[in-house]
Parts: sequence; C-alpha cells; structure tokens
Amino acid sequence: MTKELEHHFVELLEKHQNIIHKVCRLYTNNYDAHNDLFQEITIQLWKAYPKFRGDSKFSTWMYRVGLNTAITLYRKSKRTINTQDFNGVEFRMKADDYDDTEEQQLKTLYKAVYELNDIEKALVFLYLEDKDYREISETMGITEVNARVKMNRIKTKLKTILNP
Amino acid sequence: MDELELLKKDWNRQDTTFKKLSSEDIYPILQKKSSSIVKTLFYISIGELIFWILINVIPYFSSDSFRERLDAVYTNEYAFMGLTVFSYGVILLFIYLLFKSHKAISVTDNAKKLMESILKTRRVIKYYVLYNLVMAFISMVIGMYFAIMHDPKLTDTISHFNQKQMLVTYAILIGVTSVFVFIIWLFYKLLYGLLLKRLNKNYKELKKLEV
Repeated sequence: MTKELEHHFVELLEKHQNIIHKVCRLYTNNYDAHNDLFQEITIQLWKAYPKFRGDSKFSTWMYRVGLNTAITLYRKSKRTINTQDFNGVEFRMKADDYDDTEEQQLKTLYKAVYELNDIEKALVFLYLEDKDYREISETMGITEVNARVKMNRIKTKLKTILNP
Repeated sequence: MDELELLKKDWNRQDTTFKKLSSEDIYPILQKKSSSIVKTLFYISIGELIFWILINVIPYFSSDSFRERLDAVYTNEYAFMGLTVFSYGVILLFIYLLFKSHKAISVTDNAKKLMESILKTRRVIKYYVLYNLVMAFISMVIGMYFAIMHDPKLTDTISHFNQKQMLVTYAILIGVTSVFVFIIWLFYKLLYGLLLKRLNKNYKELKKLEV
C-alpha cells in the first residue's frame, strides 16, 4: 500500500474519528476496552480501505465497518470483562448545564441503553446518529419494516424503564 | 417528549468529551495486527487441515509395521491408489472451499450477511472434521477386522470366547470409541462455542426480527 493511500486514510479517519469513539462508548464499558475496540475498528477500516470506492460517503462506510466490528468481529480481550468501574453518564458528563430531573432521566436512559442487546444497541446508535430507516435496514441487513417495528419496541422498552 | 429524542439531544453533545487522536496516534495503529474472530477462525481452519493431514500421513511413513499391515490389507493395488487419490482430492476440495468462504467474508457487507459468511466458513470446517472423524472410524473398524483376521493368535483367542466374554469385548470397544468421540466433540463444542457465542446470539437476534 502506498504512502499516499495511508496518508489519505489517516486524514479521513482523524476527521471522522468520533464515529468510532461513539461505537466504542456504546459497546464497551471501560477505558482499556474502548481503546482496544477503537484499534480493531481502525485496523478493519484500514484493511478494507483499498476496496473503498468514493460512491458512498466515507462516514457512511465507517458506520457499517464500525458496527460490524463491534457486533461480529471483535473478540473481547480479558481485560475488558471488568464492568464495575464505569458509569456511562459520569464518565461522559462534565457539562453542568442540565437541570436535575433531566440529568436524572438521562442517567436512567443511558443505563437502559447499555442494558440493551448488541443488535438493539446498533439500531439505537444509528437512530441517534440521525440515520433514516432505509440506511438502518441496509446496514443491518433487515427490511425497513422490521427495522421500524424493532425501533418502536425499543422505544416502548425504554419508556417502561423510565416510567415504571 | 420522546425518550429517544431527549437522548438524541444529549448524544451529540458528547463529541467534545472524547480524547481526540492525532494522525501521529493513528499511524502506529495501522501496523497492529487484527485480533478478530475471522482471523482466529482462519488460523483454526489452517490448523485443522494440517492436523488431519498429519494424522493420515504420519502413521504410514513412521511405522514400517503399519505400512506392511496396510499393504497386506489392500492387496489390490488399484483400490489403495484409488483411495489415496480420493482422500487427497477431498482435502484439496476442502482447501478450495475454505479459501473461497474466507474470501467471501467482507467487513463491508451488511451485518446479517457478514455473520452468514462467517457461519458458512465455520460449517465448512465442521464438515471437514466430520469427514475425517467418519473416515477415522471406518478405518478403525476395517483395521480391527483385518487385524483379527490376519492374526491367528487373536482369532484363536476370540473363537474360544463364550457369549458373555464376547459381549464384554464389544462393550469395551464401543465404550472406548464413544469416549474418544465424546472428547473430540467436547473439544469442538468448547472451541467454537467460545469463539462464536456472541456471533450466534446476535445472528439469532437478527433472524428473530424476520418472523
């Protein structure tokens, strides 16, 4: 692989790295695991990059490879088993512009999302990233109708958790 | 307000909280080796190929008595040659199928298709192992039969067995074979079970959406 290709790839990755970070945050629960998954996704992206054609956006392509790696390819290493040292919200929230009830609600919501299974998480992630149902269905390999139905079920599930 | 809308509002605020990697941080990652299950599966399938080829080849070349016995069993030279050609043909076929299915695995497919290609590769390995186990079993039975037939001392001993002794002999043979098969089965269950546990779960979850 040429230096130029590598340079181009790194530039794009640096610009769009937040997509990978967000996938990692959703599928891992501590700092080491986050970095581990980040590396694996980057390696998979790099391996697939020569076949990347400009006909889809780089970011769209990243969602697919990122989620595929998180859901299917990634093998959790031993050090990622530790789950107690992480609380999604505390890890994330530094801003203090939330009012108490909203913060509380968000806390519960994030916790609920973490408890979803891998597939549900993927759907929620794409939804939060403002992807339409066509793209969600294409990324996951399910029909648009099924993506919608599943998404509605997840919403109901979250609602129940939030308002028991 | 919709719960997810609330989450969405907050979701994009987190962008600033990530530790940003610079291009200097990214370059070294590109040199690292992947530790994905596809890679592991690939090594396992190569291992399987080599292991079973060795199992088939080593006894023939390392032990003269084995070779002599084998030559005695296959008095018909053509039958032996035919069998050899057949077994190497099967190995070549499996190598071809394995590489084809490995090549079909693409991280840029959709999630379901990717899982299916990995499971397909795993099935090819499974059939290869199954084929070898069946062949091992058949040659064990044939080998035992000829060993008894060609060994006058053994034939003599067995002909003096009463029914009870005969039953015990059968029971021992069946017992030993079962334990042998069970251990191999357990090994594969553990190996692939651990490796593909998450994939199987997620694939089932996706399939469930289709009903």
